[in-house]
Amino acid sequence: MADRLFAWSMSTCAFLVVLSLLWVLGDVVTEGLPHISWTFLFSAPENAGRAGGIAPILVSTFWILLIALVVALPIGLSVAVWLSEFAPVNSRFANNTGIVLDILAGVPSIVYGLFGNAFFSIYLGMGFSLLSGGLTLACMILPIFVRTCESGLRAVNNDWRRGALSLGMTKSAAIWHIILPGARPALVAGLILGLGRATAETAALLYTSGYVDRMPGSLLDSGRALSVHIYDLSMNVTGGDTAAYASALVLVILIMTLSILAQGMVDRWFKRRLVVS
Amino acid sequence: MKVLVRVLLLLGAVMSLSIAHAADNRLTLTGSSTVAPLMSEIAKRYEADHPGVRIDVQMGGSSRAINDVRMGMSDIGMVSRALKPAESDLTAYLVAIDGIGIILHKDNKVPSLSDQQIINIFTGEIKNWHEVGGKDQRITVVNKAEGRSTLELFLHHFALKNSQIKAHIIIGDNQQGIKTVAGNAGAIGYVSIGAAVYEEAHGTPIRLLPMADEPATVKAVASGHYPLSRELNLVVKAAPIGLAKDFITYAQSAAVIDLVEAQFFAAPL
Repeated sequence: MADRLFAWSMSTCAFLVVLSLLWVLGDVVTEGLPHISWTFLFSAPENAGRAGGIAPILVSTFWILLIALVVALPIGLSVAVWLSEFAPVNSRFANNTGIVLDILAGVPSIVYGLFGNAFFSIYLGMGFSLLSGGLTLACMILPIFVRTCESGLRAVNNDWRRGALSLGMTKSAAIWHIILPGARPALVAGLILGLGRATAETAALLYTSGYVDRMPGSLLDSGRALSVHIYDLSMNVTGGDTAAYASALVLVILIMTLSILAQGMVDRWFKRRLVVS
Repeated sequence: MKVLVRVLLLLGAVMSLSIAHAADNRLTLTGSSTVAPLMSEIAKRYEADHPGVRIDVQMGGSSRAINDVRMGMSDIGMVSRALKPAESDLTAYLVAIDGIGIILHKDNKVPSLSDQQIINIFTGEIKNWHEVGGKDQRITVVNKAEGRSTLELFLHHFALKNSQIKAHIIIGDNQQGIKTVAGNAGAIGYVSIGAAVYEEAHGTPIRLLPMADEPATVKAVASGHYPLSRELNLVVKAAPIGLAKDFITYAQSAAVIDLVEAQFFAAPL
């Protein structure tokens, strides 16, 4: 009886989680869908975003994301590989790096925003720009990406490393052909976590990539990200609720599409190299 | 390595070029989140009339605007209050007036409150609506977060300090305030009149209280009779010249009154 009650309460919790997710999604879809159209996606905002569309905002969002990923992925992967494969066991430096990364992963995003504003925008003279916003987001997603990849790499069975060694593979070849493909699920998870956090970010972008809703002409132009647009519409613009819901729906669809794309891409890159699994 | 140095040098050159370029036909405005959507719209219309000009509007709050203008980080600051004596090094240009209205939930039948009653409610001395002629219901005090100019104006008008206010809920922007009061039958809060009038007209369950027998309407604010109102200013450090001067004149002109009204502010009479 107690056992059944236990199982029953577990499944109720699972049901509640799914229900709350469906509730949020349902709310966004029912309120946002009627407002979405081709003109909404492909025209510029008018009347402070109440009318018109979100074309320049989508373009800015893509640029910011692209910069963040291009900077964060190679650096993050390298750090993760170094931590799990090269750093000596019990190395104080490696341990401290791990602790610092954990602290950074928990820092609120507004702190990254203020840092990005002080360092990229003012000190490096980038001003309010897509570049400054992208680099700030790169700093923000780096710790979470490194930690997820690292734990995935550590989880790869040591027999594989020994096997590679006994076949005379160099360490770099073993990492590239055996260990990274073996840690594929963790790499996907890290990428999706980072991507989701970056796409949904508002606070870190307010003071770095800024508020301008014009089509960006270069990476040094200020550009409003989708999440900043939603924040502005729902908080500062009276009567901007419908447009905010529609933009939120676009944001949700964007994150889902990007996650599926990321999963597919990582799978395709690494599957070919790992025949036996 | 050499290639890297060259790329960096080239990047530096491009950046300094774009910054030098910025001086003639680019303008940066920073500041109040209340004024930012309005200035965005005015900037767009100005850009359409003056090809080649770029006006970037950035958000961040009135205090930040003062700081940015002093530091030279922005050409024009947006401040949603009158300048303080300590800020006499700056010059302000009035572009619009925003009134602050006291809002209650629609089901709350209290007809009006005196200044003293409002003070007592916000300082926690009156805790229940029946003490001011309403039904037996706990009062939920909704206050603005530190740094908001609405808060400063509210405190200034009622001669209160923020530490005296016993708030149950702290909110940031107007919309958040309206949503909070609409969702809580015992709540009292204060937001921009334009925003409240619009939401009230569109069926959001809130009610605006008259202040000192003056109805809380956009017209009363524009006439200057409504006591709880604030100026929306553009501020500059030195006397503006060239593009900045032209833009400020434009923002004060009759050509943008429809934009001011579309944001639920009153154009100064």
